[in-house]
Amino acid sequence: MKISVIGWELPPAFSGGLGIHTINLFSIIGHMHDVTIYVPDLGYEFPPYPFHVRKVRLSRSRFVSGYAVIEDFYDSVMDYNDRVVEQFDPNGVDIVHCHDWITFPAGIRLKEKYGIPLVVTFHSTEYDRCAFFNPQERIMSIEREGAERADRIICVSNLTRRMIVDNYHADDRKIRTVYNGVDPYPYISYPEQIRDRDVLYFGRVTSQKGPKFFMEVAKKVLELDSKVKFTVAGTGELLPEMKRYALENGFLNHMDFPGFVSFRRAIAYYKRASVFIIPAVSEPFGMTVLEAMISGTPVILSKTTGVGEALNHVLSADFWDSDRMALYTISILNHRGLMKTLSDYGKMEAMRFTWRRSAMSTMEVYDSL
Amino acid sequence: MKDVVFYFELHQPFRIRPVNLADLKNGNKDVFWEEKNEEIFRRIAANNYIPATQHLMDYGIRSSFSLSGTFLEQASRYCPKVIDVIDDYVKSGQCELLSETYYHSLASIWSDEEFTRQVRMQTDAIKMIFNYDPVSFRNTELIYNDHIAEVAKSMGFRNILAEGTDYIASQHDVNYRYAAPSGINLYLRNYPLSDDISFRFSNREWKDYPLTADKFAGWVSQSSGEVVNLFMDYETFGEHQRPETGIFEFLRYLPVYFEQSDVHTILVREVEKRHRVRDFLSIRKTTSWADKNRDLSAWMGNLMQVNTFERIKECRDKLGDLWGYLQTSDIIYYMSIGNEEDFTVHEYFNPYRSPYLAFIYTNAALDNLCGKDYGKNIMP
Repeated sequence: MKISVIGWELPPAFSGGLGIHTINLFSIIGHMHDVTIYVPDLGYEFPPYPFHVRKVRLSRSRFVSGYAVIEDFYDSVMDYNDRVVEQFDPNGVDIVHCHDWITFPAGIRLKEKYGIPLVVTFHSTEYDRCAFFNPQERIMSIEREGAERADRIICVSNLTRRMIVDNYHADDRKIRTVYNGVDPYPYISYPEQIRDRDVLYFGRVTSQKGPKFFMEVAKKVLELDSKVKFTVAGTGELLPEMKRYALENGFLNHMDFPGFVSFRRAIAYYKRASVFIIPAVSEPFGMTVLEAMISGTPVILSKTTGVGEALNHVLSADFWDSDRMALYTISILNHRGLMKTLSDYGKMEAMRFTWRRSAMSTMEVYDSL
Repeated sequence: MKDVVFYFELHQPFRIRPVNLADLKNGNKDVFWEEKNEEIFRRIAANNYIPATQHLMDYGIRSSFSLSGTFLEQASRYCPKVIDVIDDYVKSGQCELLSETYYHSLASIWSDEEFTRQVRMQTDAIKMIFNYDPVSFRNTELIYNDHIAEVAKSMGFRNILAEGTDYIASQHDVNYRYAAPSGINLYLRNYPLSDDISFRFSNREWKDYPLTADKFAGWVSQSSGEVVNLFMDYETFGEHQRPETGIFEFLRYLPVYFEQSDVHTILVREVEKRHRVRDFLSIRKTTSWADKNRDLSAWMGNLMQVNTFERIKECRDKLGDLWGYLQTSDIIYYMSIGNEEDFTVHEYFNPYRSPYLAFIYTNAALDNLCGKDYGKNIMP
């Protein structure tokens, strides 16, 4: 089977969530099918992969010292989609597989032009990214059209699946939920750390991820137990506000704000923490949940964090319910039995989320066409 | 000719209330979940305790009941009619009352002193309420070993019940009367035939579905040995197996087909008059009827359970009369994770739907009752 993937990120050019997903998934599928991945040409060279990479030259980017710099995101996306359609090689292609709205327009036009069946994956929706506050209509209409025109839709959780059915009226019968995987080796091979009475937030500091609720938990826990530290690892537009909240409520000395944390340092943060909290307002999947669990860190997550629906060995609460998350945090910190049980069972549970399993499910979707 | 011994467990725990952050702050000592306990008891009384007991009596099925002390307390508090119905059944001579620990606790596995205290409490309660002197003993969830049998024997019981685990059944035919090394009569549960009724009765995937009274009577009469011990949770009749499944019709026709097949329902205390001891049987390793493992892992399977159990044991002086109620085995059982496949089954029987919440609520209650640091295993 010949599959053309319309991608956006691919390591080493960016390594955000989408890039990591693309490389892990298609490194497996590439061994079984003939896969070509289209990505914007930003001047990067790629190492040999078990799939073909087609770099698509953009017309609207400005070149600075060999690397392309994208000026307006939306315009560049549209430009990229136009160029993909122009430069696309339809010869023998059985399926076009698009990832998120940034590649949907090309997929839709290729389907029209060549009649090639279209698979789209929703890694997130506009509703998630803006935390339900002021979603952009032009992006939603692309998502709506993608959901409507696709022959098959893949969602990273049933949470996202419901969102697409409810907001975009997609036909539920053509949707399949395929959970992401996680590569456990970097976490397992990293030396164990002594766990402090340290509670971790790790992710972008934006309203989608609910950092404000983490700060409320910190305040409430400290009212009952002053020997606890809280770390907010990551950057984002809400970071100054979080610092101000800690200062105004008199617990800045219990906080650590390391800013951006590299992949390897992140493992150390996971392994030193006794609790990992993700109070996301709307998180389609939540890779950090699996990363924390594989590191042996007990997880408290919001019910609006997608991966939670497939997990037993985590504690969950509504994202706004900082009382409940504070109760859970105190309980884990004060009871070794609870901490150890969540840690041991959580690790085993997260290990079952493999990219191999995601790849198998994705190929089942291809086979159904 | 074949004899059948039906024994049913009737038990309700005093569940612990879910807590919130405010309870933790102000040290709320009102720890039992009164509303929930009442709601569950009333529901099961209407679905199971009352109708099933009336049916057994009307259809002339003889059986043995093991009532826990906490069950009797809830019955008198929430629905005294349950006591009346059981009393009628006992007075009719068709029902034997067994003894157990008052709190349906795990005392047998850690303290003979506490164990015998609770058994005496229960025997006294049965005497007081039903004017009945139990001669047979059934420990919490059939937890059993030679030593427990010996203690029961020393307390004057003539009979004791245990699980017929796969291992035991591979060595001995469970359908006979046995004796423990201490000499007390030992009756082993025939779990496949028991589970046919309690678990599989309404399972449409099961190859023998639907289970009819004549089919079941046939299986019993064709089975080996002399006495078939069918031990199960009483809630099977009307609660786990709803009336729509036909479970009450099954009960109704069972005596009819039993009679045709020359099968008799008898009481635990009657077995020794009708059958000889087949063999002496020593069971050193503790067994139970819980989960697939049939051992103590349903209560001691993870560190949350072990730590909470240790903590409750240590809290005797702080808790006074409440100590016994917190020893009820269900409180620790709710923290069981079991096998990954059992997770959803455990959730069904868990009022908090999560072993982790069970731990959090129970330990918050212990914090509030005994003080935060009492018997607690804190992180370094």
